[in-house]
Amino acid sequence: MTHLPARITALTATAAAVALIMSGCSSSGSSTSTTSNKSLVVDNTFDLKTSDPARAFELTGSIVDKALYETALTFEGSDVTKPVPQLTTYAMSPDNKTITLTLNGKHEFSSGNPVTIDDIVWSYKRVQGIAGNPSFLLSDLSTGKPFAITKTSDTTMTITDTAANPALPYILPNPSLGVLDEKTLEKHGGSIEKTDSAESYLNATSAGSGPYELSSYNATSQVVFKLNPHYVGPKPAYSRIVLKNVTGPSQKIDVQGGQAQVALNLNSQQVTGLASGSVAVAKTTSANLGYMWLNQNPTVSGGVTNQPGFVKAVRHAIDYSAIQKLAGSGSTQPGGIVPSQFLGSLASDSANSTDVAAAKSDLSGSGYKGQTVTLSYPTDATLDGVSFADMAQSVQSNLQAAGITVKLNGLPIATLLDSFRAGKLQAGLMYWGPDFPDPSDYLTFSPGEGLGLRAGWTSAMSPEVTKAKDAAIAAQGDARAAAYQAWQKAANADGAFVPLVQAAKYVVTNGATGVTPNAIWTLDLAKVK
Amino acid sequence: MRYIAIRLGLSVVLLIGVTIITFVLTNLVPASPITAALGERAAGDPKIVEAFKKAQGLDQPLPVQYFVYLGHLLQGNLGTSIGTRNPVTQDLAYAFPATAELAIFAIAVAVVIGLVLAVVAALRQNRFSDQLIRAVSVVGISVPTFWLAVAAYFLFFFVLHWAPGSGRLSAFYDPPPRVTGLFTIDALIAGQPDVAADAFAHLVLPGCVLAVYTLGLLVRFARSSILDVLNQDYVRAARAKGLSPFRVVTGYLLRGALLPILTIVGLAFGSLLSGAVLTEQVFSWGGIGQYAYRAATSLDLPSIMGVGLIVGLVYITVNFVIDLVYGFVDPRVRLG
Amino acid sequence: MTALPVSRRRALRIPVAWRRPAAIGGAVVLVLWVLLALVDPLLGLQDPLKQSVGDALHAPSGAHPFGTDELGRDVLSRTLWGVRASLPLAVALVAGSLLIGSVLGAVAGYLGGVVDEVIMRIADLVFAFPTIILAMVVAAALGPSLTNAVLALLVVSWPNYARVMRALVLGARNQEYVIAGRLLGAGPFTSLRRDVLPNVSAPMLVLAMLDFGNQILLLAGLSFLGLGAVPPTPEWGSMVADGVTQFSSWWLATFPGLAIFSVVVAFNLIGDSLRDALDPRTAGAVQGSSI
Repeated sequence: MTHLPARITALTATAAAVALIMSGCSSSGSSTSTTSNKSLVVDNTFDLKTSDPARAFELTGSIVDKALYETALTFEGSDVTKPVPQLTTYAMSPDNKTITLTLNGKHEFSSGNPVTIDDIVWSYKRVQGIAGNPSFLLSDLSTGKPFAITKTSDTTMTITDTAANPALPYILPNPSLGVLDEKTLEKHGGSIEKTDSAESYLNATSAGSGPYELSSYNATSQVVFKLNPHYVGPKPAYSRIVLKNVTGPSQKIDVQGGQAQVALNLNSQQVTGLASGSVAVAKTTSANLGYMWLNQNPTVSGGVTNQPGFVKAVRHAIDYSAIQKLAGSGSTQPGGIVPSQFLGSLASDSANSTDVAAAKSDLSGSGYKGQTVTLSYPTDATLDGVSFADMAQSVQSNLQAAGITVKLNGLPIATLLDSFRAGKLQAGLMYWGPDFPDPSDYLTFSPGEGLGLRAGWTSAMSPEVTKAKDAAIAAQGDARAAAYQAWQKAANADGAFVPLVQAAKYVVTNGATGVTPNAIWTLDLAKVK
Repeated sequence: MRYIAIRLGLSVVLLIGVTIITFVLTNLVPASPITAALGERAAGDPKIVEAFKKAQGLDQPLPVQYFVYLGHLLQGNLGTSIGTRNPVTQDLAYAFPATAELAIFAIAVAVVIGLVLAVVAALRQNRFSDQLIRAVSVVGISVPTFWLAVAAYFLFFFVLHWAPGSGRLSAFYDPPPRVTGLFTIDALIAGQPDVAADAFAHLVLPGCVLAVYTLGLLVRFARSSILDVLNQDYVRAARAKGLSPFRVVTGYLLRGALLPILTIVGLAFGSLLSGAVLTEQVFSWGGIGQYAYRAATSLDLPSIMGVGLIVGLVYITVNFVIDLVYGFVDPRVRLG
Repeated sequence: MTALPVSRRRALRIPVAWRRPAAIGGAVVLVLWVLLALVDPLLGLQDPLKQSVGDALHAPSGAHPFGTDELGRDVLSRTLWGVRASLPLAVALVAGSLLIGSVLGAVAGYLGGVVDEVIMRIADLVFAFPTIILAMVVAAALGPSLTNAVLALLVVSWPNYARVMRALVLGARNQEYVIAGRLLGAGPFTSLRRDVLPNVSAPMLVLAMLDFGNQILLLAGLSFLGLGAVPPTPEWGSMVADGVTQFSSWWLATFPGLAIFSVVVAFNLIGDSLRDALDPRTAGAVQGSSI
């Protein structure tokens, strides 16, 4: 049977090739050609839901919005430690509560309207008002109180938090805070209230001042960009970009065959031996952090995972180097919950080190009597291409070697999150991607805070960690790094979370340059040459 | 006519049943679409959760939600997908033609090749070529579609570079202006033969993979029904009269065997859609199958309901049409 | 009443089927797999769960004839152990749907009227859904595990049996010996059990045999989509899925795929021969619904 389709395939492939060559010849002189030599194809595994910046909070969404919209501040290349001006310049008040933004030269929306302070204020208030996924970016993380956003003159505005917030300039480069064309959007249902209905317009026609505009948009197959003629920055190298939804294995073949110039979602095993000829592999350490949690709530823990000795045993039983092998060369084991490239990260901590003998002695003192521990993990999400099922199986065999019985419980992420957010899962593997490159984003991993409570970890259980957290919040300027490190040390000594790995992030290119991975928006399409 | 009316009425009842089943099932799921749709931070904010529930109508009791859905359905509104934020009708209007193009191609391949093989096998009953064709047909229904898809993709694309990559079109082409939603047809209508050729080249491999099961099924059924016809007196008479074998095959055998073949095509539709879920997943086809998988695993209720409805509708329509054709072809089963 | 034992024997005259070479081939393959399932632990294979990340994704070699997977486990032993997941579950699944479908179909066919209408309309409803989409929703709702995948497939596979059973019972109900039995005072259920069922059991068993292959394929398909087997259980469908993400390591998907294929072919060959040995009238009923 197989010979028949084979022959058919060969025939049609030949026919298609002939047709392609012929059409290439015939269309070279005509202006209606659908192909363009200045067209760039980027392969990505989509998690796209919307291109409306105030609603988008997915990885693909931030790639799209970065190309369509400008933000008040931005980052240069992959350096996320220093915010730089884009639409505005900035100044922090001495008490670190207020940031003042001042319009930075002339910028124009794709409609031809100039970018004004009113547009920025309106866009920010819209993010706060429509209660979308990124709304939290413009409110205080511990109290949930929205920032005060005020126009102070035709060229200046302020954003004020209720408490000192040194992270403010690090938040503003997020593509979800892209600035929208208020005048155009108000004609299409745009509003800063929950009644806003501009999303469908934005998913068909962008309204930004970025280097590109939307040419076509389909959340499940591809997004096509065309140049924004009103963009004031340097003209991008490609006049048309196709961002295509392609699975990892197919991305490999696409980029090898030259059907795509950039592939964003290949894992370490897929890039092995790929770099040759015009194919290049760029490697960075991802800022997405895979962690394990052990529930501290006595009723959920089964009397096991909440025992300090048991938690210590787990920390020593895990073979971190085996997980790193799964995650590929270029992956690292973070010392604490803050990723290695951010301020205040911890290089390593002996509390989280492989030592099977120590694990066994910790375990024998913990009162563990062979109960089965259920380890949950997402089946349909990966940590930068590394399968959670593989990591979970690796951890399972490590723990069993130390004498802990583990049952795996793979769940679709939707189901997993529901139980996890309710704090009902005994133990498991998950990941955290940075919302903005500042360690304050990670304080949620403290007892009594959002993530901490999911692991049943209340502030009463670990007063030391809570104290260290308060000290980290209070710290200013140069003292911040040390204060965050002390907080992570305390959490490693007495806490519910085990930081496991930051995977290697690979960007594979074939004939394209200027591809600089960025922890917040993955890739700036306009910089690709 | 009364028969048609009854069948139509039954179809509507069936469709409503489909909506009830999907609705109940998706609400039994121990997870809420809220967590599936909202980010880590947003799900922790009760105000955002409240706004989301309200926007999706999830703050109403379940029976109310169901009747609201039915009410919208009568106006042709299937709601908004939680996953893609598009109206479900719009998503389906894109995904359905993709699968239809694939399924039509697969059925065409299966019917053409399958009938030729079946006729050959029947005419040479119990000889080597018959045994071989029967073996092929058993292989066809035994090979796991998802595995065949992976193997074919690996071989013809990765190793041999004969087939184009995944998806429906090469990235440097834009989809043709939409008329039918079938890329090959639309491209021809728009006068873009290069796009049509590209779309067709993308269709061949997943289409053939999908055709294999149907082909195997068709051969074994068509062979036995052709054998039945071969033994009928009128066919023996025709052969004895000295009619050319070609005339006998086209004029008598295929006509006689048409009914069982039609039945199989109708029944195969269901298995074809199952195959499409697995095949589309491998080939990133972007059709109903991939949409259904995404919807089922992310608990996107409006999308699941939409898929259930459209698939149920297609199944019912196909079998309805086949019943009518049945009555038309064979007066004996014409129903009053 | 003398007709009864005769017709029983006729319907169960199966051995004819075993004279065909295809059936023998299928039976040999199947017996081999069953034996493997029984003696797997005694074969001295490498532990199918033993990881060695340093040896991940090695191509087939003397030490690992089928290569190693992404966690450095031996694919040969995982493939051979995989039969222990697939076969027993397929048996449970087919037996379960045979039982549920037969009971419902027999009741519908024998009692007729409203009961018949209700049961068969529900069956229609399930038919109107493509199997895998409904199974997908059920499996997603119950959470992935092999047991839940079996439950999900039970929901979608009983109507096929119910339809055939109903047709067979309708045919048998008006046979003279059944009517005679009723006249002799047998109640509906006694009559069903004593006079009708023995005469329809052969075609039902053939239908079950033909269905085996499909159920194995569907079960593996659900696992392939991540809605069946839970790691680290070696299961063929999920092993093929691993192969999809590791495209260049062709051995990951090839061998478990061939394993599925060999089992399904074996069942189909046996089922085909059994059906050919059936009486043509009942064979027709089975043939029309063996999808």
